[in-house]
Amino acid sequence: MTSLSTGLKRSLAIALAGVSMFSVTAASAGEITVWAWDPNFNGATMNKAAEIYSAAHPDVTVTVVDFAKADLETKLQAQLASGTTDGLPDIVLIEDYGAQKYLQSFPGAFEPLSGAVDLSGFAPYKTELATLNGQGYSLPFDSGVTGFFYRSDILEEAGYTAADLEDITWSRLIEIGQDIKEKTGQILLPIDPNDAGIFRIMMQSAGSWYFNADGSVNIANNDVFKAALKTYQDLVASGITKPVAGWTEYTGSFTSGDTVGTVTGVWMVGTIKANADQSGQWGIAPIPALDGVEGATHASNLGGSSWYVMSAAPNKAEAIDFLNTVWGQDVNFYQEILVNQGALGSLLAAREGEAYSASDDFFGGAPVWQNFSDWLGAIPAVNYGIFTNEADAAVVAQIPALTSGGNIDEIAAAIEAQVSQQIQ
Amino acid sequence: MSNPIALIGRAATYLLLLLAAFISVFPFFWMAVGATNTSADILKGKATPGGALWANMVNFFSSVDMPRILFNSFFIAGVGTALTLLVSSLAGYGFEMFRSRFRERIFGSLLLMLSIPFAALMIPLFIMMANLKLINTYQAIILPTIASIFIVFYFRQATKAFPHELRDAARIDGLKEWQIFFWVYMPVMRSTYAAATIIVFMANWNNYLWPLIVLQTNEMKTLTLVVAGLTSAYTPDWGVVMVGAIFATLPTLIIFFLLQRRFVEGMLGAVK
Amino acid sequence: MAQSGYERSQQVNGWLFVLPALILLGIFMIYPIIWSLWMSFQVGRGMNFSFGGFTNIMRLTQDPVFLRALSNTLIFLAIQVPIMLILALLFANALNDSKLWGRSWFRTAIFLPCVTSLVAYSVVFRSMFAQDGIMNEMLMALQIIDNPIPWLADPFWAKVVIISAITWRWTGYNMIFYLAAMQNIDRSIYEAAKIDGVPAWARFWYITVPMLKPVILFTTVISTIGTLQLFDEPNLITNQGGPSDATLTLSLYIYNLSFRFMPSFGYAATVSYVIVVLVGILTLIQFLVARDRRA
Repeated sequence: MTSLSTGLKRSLAIALAGVSMFSVTAASAGEITVWAWDPNFNGATMNKAAEIYSAAHPDVTVTVVDFAKADLETKLQAQLASGTTDGLPDIVLIEDYGAQKYLQSFPGAFEPLSGAVDLSGFAPYKTELATLNGQGYSLPFDSGVTGFFYRSDILEEAGYTAADLEDITWSRLIEIGQDIKEKTGQILLPIDPNDAGIFRIMMQSAGSWYFNADGSVNIANNDVFKAALKTYQDLVASGITKPVAGWTEYTGSFTSGDTVGTVTGVWMVGTIKANADQSGQWGIAPIPALDGVEGATHASNLGGSSWYVMSAAPNKAEAIDFLNTVWGQDVNFYQEILVNQGALGSLLAAREGEAYSASDDFFGGAPVWQNFSDWLGAIPAVNYGIFTNEADAAVVAQIPALTSGGNIDEIAAAIEAQVSQQIQ
Repeated sequence: MSNPIALIGRAATYLLLLLAAFISVFPFFWMAVGATNTSADILKGKATPGGALWANMVNFFSSVDMPRILFNSFFIAGVGTALTLLVSSLAGYGFEMFRSRFRERIFGSLLLMLSIPFAALMIPLFIMMANLKLINTYQAIILPTIASIFIVFYFRQATKAFPHELRDAARIDGLKEWQIFFWVYMPVMRSTYAAATIIVFMANWNNYLWPLIVLQTNEMKTLTLVVAGLTSAYTPDWGVVMVGAIFATLPTLIIFFLLQRRFVEGMLGAVK
Repeated sequence: MAQSGYERSQQVNGWLFVLPALILLGIFMIYPIIWSLWMSFQVGRGMNFSFGGFTNIMRLTQDPVFLRALSNTLIFLAIQVPIMLILALLFANALNDSKLWGRSWFRTAIFLPCVTSLVAYSVVFRSMFAQDGIMNEMLMALQIIDNPIPWLADPFWAKVVIISAITWRWTGYNMIFYLAAMQNIDRSIYEAAKIDGVPAWARFWYITVPMLKPVILFTTVISTIGTLQLFDEPNLITNQGGPSDATLTLSLYIYNLSFRFMPSFGYAATVSYVIVVLVGILTLIQFLVARDRRA
């Protein structure tokens, strides 16, 4: 196939070279290109890091290219699959769930950072998820440490305080939610029936996942996962959830006061604080633990992402030095992105900084960052494996059966069957 | 007209058309209203104009190098449309005017090619573009769209309405075949070209998946990519998104209104 | 001698006119098609694949997600295409009346949706069909419903939204085809029928529709292909085929298999040839039906 068309391609290439249209060629030396997906969040933090680095290295410029997250993943996968390195960036942001998929499917595409960066300074669960054959490949960025974000004024109205949310299980949260609904008429949680995030939070909080450490499917006989399914079914049946569709409706529901709160990752702080008129009316509690599950904790993770250096990057050395200098060591930098973007990094030393210990009046004067840092240390490490997207899709496909009160064992078996079929 | 049944039928027709027109135009109105409101108001479903238009515009234009983005979009859609019209109308004319059994067979097989979903062709196309060193160039976007099977079909149909006497007269006057095409066919068929311009420009302007894969840098992005990117932030600013949506819609609207008079006329030929 | 010289020049000219398009199609269409055809017999992950014979075709029959995508796509096809084409035909017929007041205004308004930008229209539809969006507000104000409909969160309503969205976007486009064709029909036929006392509906059914048969066939084939390849709307409006795969289409599944999941290009290519086979079969049926009626 290829040899047949090479001649044709070459002649076409020559012909096209004659056509002088505008085109931007490969990045010039000293220019580090970064792909990120949110210009107000990870893109903004990267620009701040670039500013700091360029001050000391005026010959190096960092360019951040923003894409939608799903688009960035499509691009990266298409490009890596095609085997061409032309046009790839130097640094790319990858969500943690996809780390092993990229590392294992495209061996040699990413540069190991173990030798160049002291990865022991980061939260262990973050470095572990991007380790393959003993090599660490990521410079950990934000953590997705979870919390229960809630409107403290509404809870107060129903007669609850922050202490009532400490150390509880999901069944207790359902009771509280029903009581709030009775007293105030408010719905506790928004639930997006097209998103499996809540299952991931519950599973990881008890140290479990869709897959075993060896990569085999662990769903039909996974008691933690089945407890998560049951909890979800109970949540919906109890009438304290409101269905929402998509990200905007989801975030809109609790920022507009339509629902009381949500269980999600720390990166939601920025979205919530964007509603300045609600200052002092919010609280953050640890998430509830799963009922009757061994090893259940109040700490989990949702999302979070890390920076990776491409092996074929034209400015690989500069890119690694940049990541190491700013992202790997600069404690002050982490204070700035925490204050400005609400980005909770994974560098442990950053926790000693000033911004981390500050209390926040928006959340009723609680030391929220200190709390999140403490919960961060308690997140059970799990192996996300390489098929999280496939498993999510299988879970979501069974949500109608789950909400209509279907048998948990049958649902779990159906999910396992679909996942096994999909990952062959 | 005096017949009461006919009157009722008349009223029902107007009602149906008014309803259809309202439904067709309403989302445009919604978009325009959205652009004047803050993100929070849009989420609350506010249907009246607000005072945030200027702020939304400023935010939109400051978020990216807008002149460059607009240039990219217009260049890709404009050059792409011109080349598509030329190459595809040549082929449509050729298939119709110079029939041969072999070319008929080729033509027949084109329809089946039209049915292959683009997602299945993206990887080989990408590898090809990489081998040609065309990643992140305008050519990579434009080249695969030039020979449009649909437009070849369209021009072949339209050519059936082209008066053969005109061609015969031109031949007697000693014009060469290519001269007949450029000097006789093209001017006569200008309505057909106008209709095709709208269809092709629209398709090029809205092209999303392929530019997304092939374009790599901020300087090369098209407006469609930029607006899509705005919607996916953790906290999208919907007012800004609506401004972007308007800017993404305006050019195709303007082209449509400019060419509208010829449009129905042009479609006329295509369905004879 | 002169005749054969003319023949030859006709041949040469025929090829010269179609050659630029054929060369471009050969490079940018046929080469990728052959590649994907070859890939459909390969199994493996990413770019590590090996010959698998008919493994992928066997896999289709046992894949619940494929069957879901296939049935969704066929549901969209069976419901959306007839609704859209019938509406287009009715509007065209109404607008074909030269005595109709505001004719060009109606025509422009109904055609307008198809020149909107894809990204813009999906954003607008998503916000209109939100739980607290304008759609629910209007329906509740008109007392048609008591509680807001979870348009995008419910499997049934999400399908309704997708069908509405495509119908909104493409009805005017098809209407223009019909309108143009109707203006080609000789007025005197209608006048004669009118004098003979043939009612309006009968004139429409027994004169207009048969005269439009070639255009109806053309729009049916094009709409069938378009709907079988449906990708943009379920990707952008209902969050990648959600909720719970209710709007997952074959094209979206191909996309997922290639770019969202562990890349499985061979299997993705196999699914795409399912669309080709479907188009082939349906087009054949449509041509046969059209021919039958003529007899």
